[in-house]
Amino acid sequence: MSIVRIACLAALAAAAFAAENNTFLLRNATVHPVSGPAMENASVLVVDGRIAEVGAKIAPKGKVKVIEARGLHVYPGMIDSGSPIGLAEIASVRETVDTGEIGDFNPQLRALIAVNPSSEHIPVVRANGITSVLVTPGSTGGGRGGAAGSLIAGQASLMHLDGWTWEEMEIRRGAAMQMTWPAIQMPRGRGGDIEAMLPGLAARRITFAEARRNQQQQVQKIQDFFDAARRYQKAKAAGEAVQPDLRYEAMIPVLEGKLPVMITAVREREIREALDFAARERLKIVLAGVRRPGKALEEIAKRNIPVILGTTFVPPLEEDDPYDDPFTLPARLHQAGVKFAFASFGTQFARNLPYQAAQAVPFGLPYDEALKSVTLNAAQIWGIDAEYGSIEKGKYADLIVTDGDPLEIRTQVKMMFIRGAPVDLESKHTRLYKRYSARP
Amino acid sequence: MRRMILTAVFLASGLPAADITVVQNGTIHTVTKGTFKGSIVIRDGKIAEVGEKVMTPAGARIVDATGKHVIPGIIDAHTHIALDSINEGSVSVSSMVDVTEMLNPESVSIYQALAGGVTVCNSMHGSANSIGGRNVVFKMRWGADARGLVFDKAKPSLKMALGENPKRQGSPQGLQIPGLSPPQNLRYPGTRLGVEDVIRDAFTRARAYQREWKDYETRKARGEKLLPPRRDLELEPLVEVLEGKRLVHAHCYRADEILMLIRVFDDFNIRGVTFQHVLEGYKVAKEIAERGHYASTFSDWWSYKVEAFDAIPYNAAIMHRKGVLVSLNSDDAGGAELMRRLNTEAAKVIKYGGLSEDEALAMITINPAKQLAIDQWVGSIETGKDADLVIYDKHPLSIYSKVEKVFIDGRQYFDRDEDMSRRPKIEAEKEGLRKKLLDQQKQAMPQNRRPS
Amino acid sequence: MRKNSLPALAAALPVFAFLITAALAETVNWTAIRGARIVPVSGPVIEKGTVLMRNGVIAAVGAQVDVPASAWVIEGNGLTVYPGLIDALSTWALPQPAQAQPAAARGAQPQQPPQQQQQQPQQQQTRSWGPRDRPGTFSWVKAADQLQPGDPRLGQARNAGFTSAAVFPRQGIVAGHGAIINLGGKTAGDMVVAPEAGLYLALRPSGYTGFPSTPMGIMAYFRQLWFDAGHYRQALALYAADPVNIPRPAYDRALEGILGAKRVLLPAADPVQLERMLGLAGDLKTPAVFYGAVRGYEMAARLKETGTPVILNVRWPTRDRDADPEDQDSYRELRIRDLAPTSPAVLSQAGVKWAVSSDGLDSPRAVLRALKQSIDRGLKPEDALRALTLSAAEIYGAADRLGSIEGGKIANLVLADGDLFNDSTRVRMVFIDGVRYLPEPEAPAPQGAPGRGPSHSEEEQ
Repeated sequence: MSIVRIACLAALAAAAFAAENNTFLLRNATVHPVSGPAMENASVLVVDGRIAEVGAKIAPKGKVKVIEARGLHVYPGMIDSGSPIGLAEIASVRETVDTGEIGDFNPQLRALIAVNPSSEHIPVVRANGITSVLVTPGSTGGGRGGAAGSLIAGQASLMHLDGWTWEEMEIRRGAAMQMTWPAIQMPRGRGGDIEAMLPGLAARRITFAEARRNQQQQVQKIQDFFDAARRYQKAKAAGEAVQPDLRYEAMIPVLEGKLPVMITAVREREIREALDFAARERLKIVLAGVRRPGKALEEIAKRNIPVILGTTFVPPLEEDDPYDDPFTLPARLHQAGVKFAFASFGTQFARNLPYQAAQAVPFGLPYDEALKSVTLNAAQIWGIDAEYGSIEKGKYADLIVTDGDPLEIRTQVKMMFIRGAPVDLESKHTRLYKRYSARP
Repeated sequence: MRRMILTAVFLASGLPAADITVVQNGTIHTVTKGTFKGSIVIRDGKIAEVGEKVMTPAGARIVDATGKHVIPGIIDAHTHIALDSINEGSVSVSSMVDVTEMLNPESVSIYQALAGGVTVCNSMHGSANSIGGRNVVFKMRWGADARGLVFDKAKPSLKMALGENPKRQGSPQGLQIPGLSPPQNLRYPGTRLGVEDVIRDAFTRARAYQREWKDYETRKARGEKLLPPRRDLELEPLVEVLEGKRLVHAHCYRADEILMLIRVFDDFNIRGVTFQHVLEGYKVAKEIAERGHYASTFSDWWSYKVEAFDAIPYNAAIMHRKGVLVSLNSDDAGGAELMRRLNTEAAKVIKYGGLSEDEALAMITINPAKQLAIDQWVGSIETGKDADLVIYDKHPLSIYSKVEKVFIDGRQYFDRDEDMSRRPKIEAEKEGLRKKLLDQQKQAMPQNRRPS
Repeated sequence: MRKNSLPALAAALPVFAFLITAALAETVNWTAIRGARIVPVSGPVIEKGTVLMRNGVIAAVGAQVDVPASAWVIEGNGLTVYPGLIDALSTWALPQPAQAQPAAARGAQPQQPPQQQQQQPQQQQTRSWGPRDRPGTFSWVKAADQLQPGDPRLGQARNAGFTSAAVFPRQGIVAGHGAIINLGGKTAGDMVVAPEAGLYLALRPSGYTGFPSTPMGIMAYFRQLWFDAGHYRQALALYAADPVNIPRPAYDRALEGILGAKRVLLPAADPVQLERMLGLAGDLKTPAVFYGAVRGYEMAARLKETGTPVILNVRWPTRDRDADPEDQDSYRELRIRDLAPTSPAVLSQAGVKWAVSSDGLDSPRAVLRALKQSIDRGLKPEDALRALTLSAAEIYGAADRLGSIEGGKIANLVLADGDLFNDSTRVRMVFIDGVRYLPEPEAPAPQGAPGRGPSHSEEEQ
């Protein structure tokens, strides 16, 4: 791997590797710290993987390798706030998928331990400027990952997109508990569709009362599980002898409000119920997958609940929704004062994370917010902003060097550093490109 | 629905008396004849003049495009939108069905696509069968009925499919049909070998059928009294393919199956096939180009199934460089999603492979037009072509651009400002209807137990 | 008068009952309704007049009619006489599906009108691989062969003023041939007015698996079936002319059934489906009658242009009671709900021939209530009545015998104590083939519920 790295960077940073691998001066670039205004003709000094200094004139002590970046731009590496990357290779082949474990409650599962550092997705995604990902253990839908609808899927882990092992990739193993708030599910589809529906399918339709009962049973299960976990926590705190239970152990940081719960809630009703539940249980939560917050948006803002938005590249949910509804949602959240970040919630389009954010800009989201939503906001939401998410002194040097705005499709990522170490930007795709371009 | 409001708006404002519109002072991306600052004169739905300086006839409606970008209407060569059913997935050869009959002009996806700058699309039968059904090319004339949508000049076409999808029902782990146990459930073919066989067999039968009719006509002309052959709706479209009267769009992924179909079509002398998806087309670009076949692909899809694991975003660029006529498509079904941002999908061939802006735009305009054999009417901004135009506020290959206006046949079918101002009106109308119906329901007798 | 009688019932009604023996059957039987308000539909209302029936057929109608001395006379003071109502698309008197569910369970599947419930998939273990397997095809089935005079729904229908119906089998996609029937008679044979009313086609894949599995597959299949039938006809003709040299075509009951179809009934719920079905009907080269038309208010111009009659489903859509309360109705749904009851008025105004189906309604009386809603939205009462009588008869080519009060037509009459569309109006009696039927007690149970007694008729002299 490092050999490829060297080959890749040789053109740009020929003399770079004389000194240690994660100490260098990146010079004469436009630096976009995200936390503040852009600086032209500026430099970034990285020492032992951390940003030591950012500014126009930097005089490094001693001999430091210099990377010339004239005409290029430096940004913090982007963060994908939810993706099964490393856990899922080919979405339709069960054997390659390790999301969606069987069972309703699996808080003890930790995403990072099955992250495959050799996944072909990793180089593909980072080539577009993404340096870290919140790897989620939950099902990615379609029931393809096994149990489709678990309520607590496990612990999501923040991972760097580089490393020889998953331990080397780790930023934070327990970054969030992944949970889904059950929705009242009624088979939809009226009119023409039902006409074409096979009678067997049509007969499977259920009433709203039944659907609500099903949902309430699920909610009750969640309540029961939290109650049991709390009894376990109290008993343990009181020094009583308890039968050790890994599931309840894993819940203790959640109950203490230390570990955020990332709750998927798409529509207003689920959001409302999730917010109420979180308040009752005094949980620290992050909402995910929000599509139609409705009146709950005010409440989300009032209670400072951060939101992880999925892709903007979806059609509107309802027939009557404005055609641009998914494009304007980020701006609406921003106007309401809600802090949000973006997630790809998938593998094959994870590399399009920056475009997902950018799509909201022509529809009302300020550009700076779009950029933050894939960098600093994500770091803040996941509590790693002391070390990641912007180009500031003391933070880790997760950097990308580009020939332009990284949210714009035509922009090329020229260099990437993770904790100051240069990262290979080749992938399966570039290799096949070269190979077959050369086919006689 | 929106279209009713639309109609109302048109009636209120009245059509321009002279039916002449001039799009003025925009950056015109003609795609085939360069890009420049200029204007376009639309007369009776056609582009009458385009250039840096044009004559503005008196009484013409003026559309100011200063600071804006104009491109030809986007053409999506592969969708399944606005169809009430897509796959007649019961049989491996379903050429008797025609999705034109399933075109639903009220599907809001048409409006969504329109709002994304798409003016023409090829909405196709699905990929469940080796030989699928007949497809429909239509314009996004939102508000028209099905007959009014169909782009009747387009050459008819037939869908085919290779690989995982058509063989799925031949696998015991594949699609299960309720009520049928596996042996009856299994549908031939279950392998790529069988897919070739089904296709060869179908075209062999079609040839025999063609001969049968010719023999009949000859004998009838000689005055013989004889029974005509039984008309076979499955084979008729295949005969049209053999006779060059019907195009083929073939869903495919892997290089081996692409080459297989090229060779089968060599044997049956079938030309002008558009390989759809064709994600490994870059591996056999030479062979595709040699026969003059076409490719319509995704910008950057990959890894969603095994046969898509070698897909690369450089596919379009490689195929293009090796002489294949390439378009980019959305494959949208249900709602319009990807198709409404094909402009930025095109930008990806600049990112991945370094093609030019014109080459990128061609892949969503003139190239798909050629693949659908409609390029003499649409696909570029040229005098005499249909006035299918999209006005963007910024460069259309930028993610920050958005569609402001769309014209089809010279008529404005989308205007973002109008759309925005319509929203509160529709909400108010809905509220009124809700109240009215609630009042009626209160008075009504309990007979209407059943829902809509 | 008909030959058969039900002595027990007759005896239970001693005031009117004169038992007719077989020996008297050849006598001419006269019945007169005198002094009633008569609405003939085919002509102007007669404020006070007489309808004279002779052996089950209307002999005369007018303000002044000579009534034979032997006639049984009914004083019609305060009553209005209408032609018997016709349900233009019905399953009355046809066997109900074995798996008919109780009302509560039906409510659980609110989106399915009853005729769709009849199409539960049978435990079939064969898969159709194409048109040659004749999937879902019952073109040899005739409703006229399946009538059940004991169907308890007939009494309910008569109570609401219905005396005739066009009934169609509903299984599969080529469901079979309908019949025009009277809703009374001792035997199934008595009930039949016309044994061939048309072939009922559905676009819903059901009751079989395999081809065709989509509406487009079904449409393609219909075309192939009709082509095959045409080919079969040619083959039979050639064979008949030259049985020595031409091979004998194999008998095909499915194709025989297609060749015998006078017309096809096709679904057209909305303008979109209407266009599809107009195309299909054109290809089948068979006259079409469309059914459904929930959005008839948008279909009038096209129906008029093509001269196609339509049978309205008058189960006006309402918000699903079972809907998620937070589920907002779409603009489209709200408009349909608002405008559906205006379809009759719009169709009448455009001059489209339309009739009415009881499909999906809880009771026959609900048909009248539904039309009353339309009258409140601008439908002329006389147009509503015409749809229920003469228009229905005309659509099926039975207007020579049904649909109006005219001399020579079958004596199917309704006697009501007021305007038919007024909810407080009661039907006092109906005549079917000149036989009087008195109202039966309204059952609290819904249609099709088991345990109801047989049909209730009497004979008069």
